[in-house]
This record gives sequence, C-alpha cells and structure tokens, in this order.
Amino acid sequence: MLPLSLLRTAQNHPMLVELKNGETYNGHLVSCDNWMNINLREVICTSRDGDKFWRMPECYIRGSTIKYLRIPDEVIDMVKEETVTKNKQSRDQKGGRGGQNQRNRPAARGNFGGRANKPGGQQKLFQKNKPTKLA
Amino acid sequence: MASGDSEKRKANNQMQDQKEKKRKESILDLSKYLEKTIRVKFAGGREASGILKGYDPLLNLVLDNTIEYLRDPDDPYKLAEDTRELGLVVCRGTSVVLICPMDGMESIPNPFISQD
Amino acid sequence: MTSGLDSFVNHTVSIITSDGRNFIGTLKGFDQTINMILDESHERVYSTTTGVEQVMLGLHIIRGDNVAIIGLIDEDVDNRLNLSTIKAEPLNPVVH
Repeated sequence: MLPLSLLRTAQNHPMLVELKNGETYNGHLVSCDNWMNINLREVICTSRDGDKFWRMPECYIRGSTIKYLRIPDEVIDMVKEETVTKNKQSRDQKGGRGGQNQRNRPAARGNFGGRANKPGGQQKLFQKNKPTKLA
Repeated sequence: MASGDSEKRKANNQMQDQKEKKRKESILDLSKYLEKTIRVKFAGGREASGILKGYDPLLNLVLDNTIEYLRDPDDPYKLAEDTRELGLVVCRGTSVVLICPMDGMESIPNPFISQD
Repeated sequence: MTSGLDSFVNHTVSIITSDGRNFIGTLKGFDQTINMILDESHERVYSTTTGVEQVMLGLHIIRGDNVAIIGLIDEDVDNRLNLSTIKAEPLNPVVH
C-alpha cells in the first residue's frame, strides 16, 4: 500500500500533521496531491512548545515541510476496498486482450490491513485528536 | 468487436488524460484569496501577512501592506509580539510553507486541555 | 528497483526519525521517497531518570525526508525487554 493512497483515502477525515518546524495542525483533510501538499479545514495550530494555539478556518501546507501525519485507524481498512475495486476495474477493462500492461495487477497479497492479531493491552491509551505534545 | 474494443480503449485513454490533467491542477486555488489578507509562513520560521495581489503556480506571491511578525532573537521559531511593516513584497514560492486566510484566524486558549 | 524494504512490509519495524524520535509499528507500505505507513504504532520516549515510556499513537504516515533509520524488530526479543528498567539518553536531532 502506498502512503499517498492512504492519504487520499483519508480525505474528509480528521488528522494531526506535524511539520518539520515542530508545529502541529489538527484538522480535516480536504484535499492532497502527489507532492503531499494538503488542504485542511477547521484547523487548530499548536506551536512547537505546545504553549500557543490558533484556530484557522482552513490552511494549505506544503508537503515537503511535513514530518508526519497521524490518521484515524479505520482509514487503513478503507484503502483496501478502494484498491481492490480499482484493480477489478482495470482487470475487467483489459479482459481478453492479453494485458499489455501487467503492472497494475491486483497482486496476490490481498490481505492488507487484516487487523486480526492486535497485541491488545496498551491500545486503549490511544485517544483521538490528542496532540502528541502538550504543555 | 475489435472496433468496439478500440473505442472503449480511446474513451478509457481520454478518461485517463482528464484524470492526469485534474491531477496536475493545483489543489490550492489562490484566486479566492485575491485582495484578501492572508497569513504566510516560510521555511526558516519567518511569518508575514498581507493582501494578496498576485500569484503564480509556483506559489510565488505578491503581497501588499505586508506585516512581518518578528521572532524571539534566540529562537527563530518562537514569535514575539513585535511586528514590522514591509509594504509591497514578492514572496518566493519555494520557501512558502503554509498559507491561510487571516479572516477567521485567531489565537485561542488550549483547546485540548479538557482531554488531559 | 527495490529498496529492500519489501521484506519489512507487514512486520514490526523501528524507525528513528531525524528529530531523534523512535517509532515502533507495523510497516504497511512505503514509496520511492521512503514515505512510510506505520500501523498500530507507538513512540518510545527514552529518559535517563525513568524507564522507557511508550506513547500509543496508532496509524501514521511518516515522510521519507524525516527518516534516518528503519530496522526490523525481532518480536520475541522485543517482548522479553523490560522497558521500565531501561534508561537511556534521548537522541539528539540530526543537525542539517
């Protein structure tokens, strides 16, 4: 699974973005592109030291300045469905023409995101939307 | 049969082309900010706000009545209260890190505190 | 072209980022720029005064620019660790 596919799937979901300068942005992902540039809406910006906060209706962030993004757990399971249907489509379209393009086959590893074997325990500590750094 | 197939393929290709075009289009439409005040953060820590007068696809910006928010001399990522006026400026796109509208941007108390 | 990371996919990995943090999680995917999907991740915070603190974080995309080291974790060995007794100096960030 590609990180950018996951990010695309996370559109309209809440997320936390930490920039290389240490600031964090909590907001809903509106859109993203192949450079990881993103638009967020209903944003709360937290300063690097976690001592100042700003509300912004929307903001655009250059992808190259991102350190990481925290995405709701359930989103990874939604990517799976999307890639499966997409692969199915392309297979159908190519049907019977001896596929000149073998590259985007579904590949025999369909059980991404099988979240059966969780280690349990500590998981509960996870709280949604909580910034990693607080004053 | 074969012609039907090639039609399909053509349509398919067109769809792909459109998709490509869509993808190349910026996800940021700066026209909605023209003549409005925006806040811009730069690589290295500078921050400014000004009225957006113009822009290009590389995110080079023309700002008028620009104010720079000065920073703690010991910490280039910490804002001080002070500002200075820069007037009409061109911002280099490659160093732009973040853009947001000034309208609706406000400093708030810790909104996460209840969760702790 | 492969980066050799394929064999890490769906395994537990430890990532040290250039800001000196240590993330542990299941590698679900990556791309050419080493952007990575880390699932069910946690951060290990090292300290010289108390044991290792684990902060549960969940699903992450870590940008490749920011990744210094990716290592495969031997879960058997890792499970035997008593993190509360391990004291260590936190890593410093990479200086650019």
